[in-house]
Amino acid sequence: MKAITRAIRPEQLREITLAALIVVVVLFFSSQIQGYFSGRTFNRVTASVAIIAVVAVGQTLVVLTRNIDLSVGSIVGFSAYFVGTQLANDNTLSPAFAIALAIGLGALMGAINGALVAYGRVPAIIVTLGTLAIYRTILVDMSGAKTVVVDALPQWLKDLPRTNLIQIGELDIRLMFGLAVFVVLVFQLVLVYLRFGRRLYAIGSNPEAARNAGLPTQRIVFSAFVLCGALAGLAGFMFLARFGTITVVAGQGMELQSVAAVVVGGVNIFGGSGSMIGAFLGATLIDLLEQSLIRWLRVSEFWRDALLGLLILLAVASDAVILNRLRRIWAQDGVSVQGKPVE
Amino acid sequence: MIRLHKPIASLIVASLLLGACAAPVAAPQAPAAPAATEPPAAPAATQAPAAPSGEVVKAEPGKAVKMVLLPKFLGIAVFDQANQGAQEAHKELGNPEKLEFLGPTPENSVAGQIEIVTTAATQGVNAVMLSNNAGDQIVPAVKKAVEAGTKVVTWDSPIPSAEGESVFVAQVDFNETGKVMADMALSILGADGGKFAVLSASPDAANQNAWIAAMKEALKDPKYAKLELLDVVYGNDQSEESYKQALALVDKYPDMELIMAPTTVGIAAAAKAMTDEGLCDKVKVSGLGLPAEMVEYTKSGCAPEFALWSFVDLGYLTYYLTYLLATNQIEAKEGVKFKAGRMGEYTITKDPTREKGLRVLMGPFTVYNKDNVDK
Repeated sequence: MKAITRAIRPEQLREITLAALIVVVVLFFSSQIQGYFSGRTFNRVTASVAIIAVVAVGQTLVVLTRNIDLSVGSIVGFSAYFVGTQLANDNTLSPAFAIALAIGLGALMGAINGALVAYGRVPAIIVTLGTLAIYRTILVDMSGAKTVVVDALPQWLKDLPRTNLIQIGELDIRLMFGLAVFVVLVFQLVLVYLRFGRRLYAIGSNPEAARNAGLPTQRIVFSAFVLCGALAGLAGFMFLARFGTITVVAGQGMELQSVAAVVVGGVNIFGGSGSMIGAFLGATLIDLLEQSLIRWLRVSEFWRDALLGLLILLAVASDAVILNRLRRIWAQDGVSVQGKPVE
Repeated sequence: MIRLHKPIASLIVASLLLGACAAPVAAPQAPAAPAATEPPAAPAATQAPAAPSGEVVKAEPGKAVKMVLLPKFLGIAVFDQANQGAQEAHKELGNPEKLEFLGPTPENSVAGQIEIVTTAATQGVNAVMLSNNAGDQIVPAVKKAVEAGTKVVTWDSPIPSAEGESVFVAQVDFNETGKVMADMALSILGADGGKFAVLSASPDAANQNAWIAAMKEALKDPKYAKLELLDVVYGNDQSEESYKQALALVDKYPDMELIMAPTTVGIAAAAKAMTDEGLCDKVKVSGLGLPAEMVEYTKSGCAPEFALWSFVDLGYLTYYLTYLLATNQIEAKEGVKFKAGRMGEYTITKDPTREKGLRVLMGPFTVYNKDNVDK
């Protein structure tokens, strides 16, 4: 037992549990849906999870500091629309410029959130609920009720969603999914190895202690919001590539989807614990369930959302119960445990 | 109270002036305020109530009526087109008051609509033209507005219970929608027919459900015997969900050859999904779509045919009807006929889709294909 408790931490076990849950879901639906266990299912899920995964990474950064960003959906929509309009007006703009523009716009909007939360000392839920509406309203006003249409976009952007990074047999690893995985891994490394990453945990675990220890908490919270906005901006660019037709409602509801992914992924909503891999697995599990349920003829359209909600609750609850048990075992073995104390 | 006072006063004066002259008068282009200084030439009693039924009422131009065009929310092309149509009619009729295009933002649609109706009533707006997105939740606000003397006409999407609403301007006949969809399916799949599925907006959207029911009814005609409807799924008018649902349909029904989406969001998302996954040769897309959003897919052959009505005309017709109602030139009663400018004659009838409502039916559809999609 000690060997295991030494080798892995409970947080890693949570990720393993999630991965196991994903396997269980896949096995269950394989027995229910004809032709489910195939490369096609993999391709569908990976293509669709890419955008929300990037948003969830940003959300994780903010949630770790005991804050929340509800404006990400509006930032995704704003960046998708704005970049789409620029590209539609001038097809010769380079991909690099378009991506930089999307990220820059997102970072700017994230900076406004961050400044108000970190330096203005207004609770994040209030600030971002406000900017959720403000960013969307600016978008509506700026749009003049025009829609970004696929016909006007440059060819490289239209081709982007179907571009493969690599193809292994039936499995297509799409470029956009590759980008999402890259983002997840980079920020996972940031969390584990960089001082900035560790400080996010410190602030979320105990903001006062972090301040007393001399951490520049305001600056760190501000940076978390800027990064979250930048990632939402990048997701906006991906949204534009995937859907092409962009109206002012683009990205609406993504704030809650990203929070759901983060919570299912085991990131503590009160800050201080969680990982990027977890958030990514959470996003994947939700998308997998959704994609499976819409293919499962036995469930009526009307019950699907309720069932999805129930499964999410079950996943979180069982995860919490298992994790608490495990923490106790770890504690008995005398290994120090990072994160919240055992109840 | 002062704000409420002025438009009503000017309205009364304007109608008195009109009542005095038997023949149609030229539109008094002067703003509302100077009108009050002119002496009313005839007693109010000469103002005829509404025209007797059977007679086609032609709008007397130039009356001052404060009107608000209220879409589901702002920033959407079709609602903007409706506003263009309404503004065109506004100019034609020489209404000296302002026609305001007011709407909530997308994330605040329901509460925002209720707020705008309430505010309009307290500010003395004479008529609100509403594309209702709030279901029957809007009824209390609408009733209060009606008590305050504001006429409420719905367009695009009615108030389900019809309470408080004068008339609903229906874009197309719901039965015709069903037939148009069946016809497009037949034309795309060919004489041998085939299997298809419907990608709708939300399970509780009244108009979508009525269209799908009408299509099922139309499919009973032996003419469509070879068409088989496999399933109806919902994308909730969101790109992400519609895109996922379209691909799920392909996975679920390997022999499906057509996705019929009677929603502009659904049809564009389905066409994009088929394009991205290289499925266009196998599965075609059709339904109700916006030409600008569909050009790409119609030209590529992914969505060879789709249909829509003109939102500009819908706004234009709604304005004419509302103007006539708000100036008491006609009453909201079954059998009342009126002329709506360039669009010709229309009649107020019972709404067959709602128990209590009245409607004016616009119609017809324009079917788009590669020959007319970019015109």
